Amino acid sequence: MADSLVSLTIDGTAVQVPPGTLLIEAAKQAGVLVPHYCYHPGLPVAGVCRMCLVHVEKQPKLAIACATQVAEGMVVRTTAPEAKAARQGVLEFLLINHPLDCPICDQAGECELQDFVFQEGRAATRYTEYPKRFNPVEDFGPDVLYVPNRCILCTRCVRFMEDVAQEPVLNVSERGDRAFIGVHPDARLDHPWAGNVVDLCPVGSLLSKDFLHKARAWELDKAASVCTGCSQGCNVTLDLRDNTVVRVRPRPNLAVNRYFICDHGRANYRWMNRGDRIEAPLVREGGELVATDWDTALDRVRGIVRGASGRAVTIASPLVSTEALYLARRLLGRFDWTGAFQVVQGEEAPLAGVPNLALRADRAPNGSGAELLGYTRDIDAAVSAAANAGVVLMLAEVDVPVETKGALVYAGTVLPDHARGADVVLPIANVAEEDGTYVNRDGRVQRYFQAKPAPGMARPAWWVLSELVADHEGVARAVSADDVFDMVAGTEPFTGLSYAKLGLAGARVRNGAGVPA
Amino acid sequence: MGYPHKPHAKETVVLSKYFGDPEARTLKGWKKRGGYEMLDKALAMDPNAVIEEVKNSGLRGRGGAGFPTGLKWSFMPKEKKKAHYLCVNADESEPGTFKDREIMRWTPHALLEGTVIAAHAIRAEIAYIYIRGEFTEPLTIMEQALNEANAAKLFGKIKVFLHRGAGAYICGEETALMSSIEGKRGNPRIKPPFPAAAGVFGLPTTINNVETLVAVPHILKHGADWYKKLCLSNPKSTGTKLFSVCGNIAKPGNYEVTLGFPLKDLLYELAGGMRPGRTLKACIPGGSSVPMLNREETESTLLDYEGCVEKGTMMGSGGVIVFDDTADMVYQTMRLTRFYAHESCAQCTQCREGTAWTTRILERILAGQGKTSDLDLLLELSENMTGKTICVLSDSCAAPVVSAIKRFRGEFEDYIAGRRKPVLAA
Amino acid sequence: MSVTHPEGTEAYEPVFEGHRLDELNKLLTRYPNKQAALLPALWIVQRERGWISDPAMAEVARVLGITPAYVKGVVTFYTMYHQHPVGRHFVQICTTSPCNLCGAEDVVKAFLKESGAGELGATSPDGRFTVIEVECLGACGFATPLLVDDDFIESVTPEKVKEIVRKYL
Repeated sequence: MADSLVSLTIDGTAVQVPPGTLLIEAAKQAGVLVPHYCYHPGLPVAGVCRMCLVHVEKQPKLAIACATQVAEGMVVRTTAPEAKAARQGVLEFLLINHPLDCPICDQAGECELQDFVFQEGRAATRYTEYPKRFNPVEDFGPDVLYVPNRCILCTRCVRFMEDVAQEPVLNVSERGDRAFIGVHPDARLDHPWAGNVVDLCPVGSLLSKDFLHKARAWELDKAASVCTGCSQGCNVTLDLRDNTVVRVRPRPNLAVNRYFICDHGRANYRWMNRGDRIEAPLVREGGELVATDWDTALDRVRGIVRGASGRAVTIASPLVSTEALYLARRLLGRFDWTGAFQVVQGEEAPLAGVPNLALRADRAPNGSGAELLGYTRDIDAAVSAAANAGVVLMLAEVDVPVETKGALVYAGTVLPDHARGADVVLPIANVAEEDGTYVNRDGRVQRYFQAKPAPGMARPAWWVLSELVADHEGVARAVSADDVFDMVAGTEPFTGLSYAKLGLAGARVRNGAGVPA
Repeated sequence: MGYPHKPHAKETVVLSKYFGDPEARTLKGWKKRGGYEMLDKALAMDPNAVIEEVKNSGLRGRGGAGFPTGLKWSFMPKEKKKAHYLCVNADESEPGTFKDREIMRWTPHALLEGTVIAAHAIRAEIAYIYIRGEFTEPLTIMEQALNEANAAKLFGKIKVFLHRGAGAYICGEETALMSSIEGKRGNPRIKPPFPAAAGVFGLPTTINNVETLVAVPHILKHGADWYKKLCLSNPKSTGTKLFSVCGNIAKPGNYEVTLGFPLKDLLYELAGGMRPGRTLKACIPGGSSVPMLNREETESTLLDYEGCVEKGTMMGSGGVIVFDDTADMVYQTMRLTRFYAHESCAQCTQCREGTAWTTRILERILAGQGKTSDLDLLLELSENMTGKTICVLSDSCAAPVVSAIKRFRGEFEDYIAGRRKPVLAA
Repeated sequence: MSVTHPEGTEAYEPVFEGHRLDELNKLLTRYPNKQAALLPALWIVQRERGWISDPAMAEVARVLGITPAYVKGVVTFYTMYHQHPVGRHFVQICTTSPCNLCGAEDVVKAFLKESGAGELGATSPDGRFTVIEVECLGACGFATPLLVDDDFIESVTPEKVKEIVRKYL
């Protein structure tokens, strides 16, 4: 294939890229980030900010890297004096009406205007004698505020709504230096994917009301995760301040969610910070649940599993990791086992401009993982089976009362009323507190990473179950989710996969087995 | 002063022959004057033959850029796979230019004839004539002419529609014009793709200026060689051109001369020279977007594409703005930049912010609050606004600034040093 | 910035009904898609209503299958579409360089005085005139040109203003 590639040199580094590649993308391969504002790989090229001007040998004028395709033998210099001067000129123009209110701006610290001005802007403005343009803050929609004074008119938001969401509720209004991003009073920015405009905004002009003044960018800890909002499995980053999740943002994955997440997923994090957590294992003593240590609690479960007979039932939340679902089944392998998971249904909300991307009706991040491991959606059947089962294991929060004549083991993050009848309660970590994987509706296994410590004595469900399985089978304990996944990968259709192979982008199970077309 | 004027002996009257003749506006009158003969001839010709003839004539676009018309037509796909469009640029908005207006007012059928011939040459079935919104009278006249021509079924399969603009200078830029026809903001688009590949509605399109198209029937009638010989200087500039003379001049109006004609003669003979007691100070020969010339340069310029470039300016649209010794060049420069600041579409950063900032600096100078460093700042901003944006509106704002400072620096310095009384309130 | 209309303002009466809808439908045949008829449709609205209100933009959006915000973006681009009500006669006077050289600013002053509008963009107390400066009207050889509504008047001097105003009273 090498001969079908185009060779060029960018800032002295030779790169080979497919024909049709834009200079700005080719530059990334050379390790060069060409400063830019209007360009975004998930949007149609606009070529309006004129920030990505670079010098191309033998061309009379500077070229914009975002709209120029590579050509064989091209010699590109992003640091040529005339290119740098041109970009410095753009930065000066962008700042003349900018309020420079970084100290009170949420974007500060992750602002591309700040970054590039720091990198190559002028030390001081020459626009000193004139008043700056002023327009009041506008309420665009349920979660979006517009601060026009900070706007650099890159039009990413307008293009997102027009070409990706395909619901143009934003426009550029007026013209010249009077221009601003406008709306019509009849339509709010309330599209189910509207929140992406906040991420796309390179400056602090479009703000999330939810995140408003919650944290400074440099205070945030970040962890790669997978959205728990539905079965799409959008890749996200959790932003935490002092071990509290304060924001969910899309993490690019071209195969799943490109650069976007929906507002449902974006808002779906508060439960990760719940304060009413179970912080210690509980065992039933004389009709009361009393706190104990892990050894005592696990011993109690071992006794239950060893002593029970007949039927075993696992009722799981679709938020449970593939690893824990696997171990739960394996633990109860010698029983006549029934496994089911609960799926809440909601409204489907596609993102029109991206094929196969939607907020799915199945609000279940790991429904596919559960199905591939033999769990069914028939929660009612599982609940009736539980009535006569010898042992019932509830994994994480399931919104159905379960009654059994046998023993009830509940592993969860909080203790709902209907779980108060459990014989043993095991405190487990939530998705932000453990490593694990989910399988999305297309059979893609994706890792999520621990973002914060679990409260009290709570442990990842995979750890709890691995302790039990190890003892039960006389095998070695798993010391990480990675170890457990290697066990999962011993079974179809997960064979051949490993955490290393999944990386940050995930991989599909063998032949997409067991996944609806 | 009556308009149009009786042609001056030094004019070469081809396109403007029937200016002032109301009968030429009607279909009957136009036909009586030989109109539409070339349309019938052209429609019977192979489109490629029409293109060849126009190519050979040396006709170049009269809208400003001066691109060879036949060559432009030949860029349209040879094998027609999709619909082709012709867009006629009648969005004449370049300050100093008012020739297309007169063409449409007096000889609407000439434009229709040229339009349909061009559409045939590029194999377009639809032609949109984009008329600027302010041209209420030309629009009415064009509507009447089009109705007459349609009733007479003159155009075969080719459909011609008028599309009215609504107040936006930038729609005279060809890609912005296409955006506007598509019902969008009149934003220029990045090229490539070029209009011949993906133009209006994403389909192959050619955009031609009004004056360019009205020359075409004459080329077909008299032949490419005849047209080529209409040349007083550089052989790359052929044919006649309407020059709109305005500003501080005795007889403003449109004058049609053969390319290569001396600008000096145009001003002093055809247009009657300066007003009594006045002397020439400066001249912008090609519409407000091109650099201005001082008196010496003006008086030695030959009016063709190359002759203007030689003097550091451009022939542009042929809008000749004359400034006499009463003109305040600082104020006039500010008026021009204010125009561009008003008309900037807001897409490109340099243009959106630069046109407004430039204007503010000039206003401040005119208010007696300028600083010595302002002139260098203006020049540096102009440099940042030149050759770096999607279209040339930004460059057009910089051109008068740079050329005025270069040629009339003293006037700027007088305001800054307080030697001249401020004309604007602080 | 966008204008929020108070609740319960009078009901909006659509423009595109009956013969005006026919007129629009005829326009639609000129273009391969409905959006392209936006500029002509807005011209019809302005002809009928004198200006283009937010509800009118919403109506145009509905009949053309586009969004109100999109229409508003277009309306605000083109200076000839009125986003606010104007006087019975809308006067646009060219003051760009060539006309400026020939005294256009004096014509503006005379018009503001004679019409009673007083200042640029304001409407005279009798509601008759709104006067604005406009950039190049494309008739530089006929300085100073102005538009009163759709009437193009050339070679206006301050002395002629009184008579023009009287004609439109």
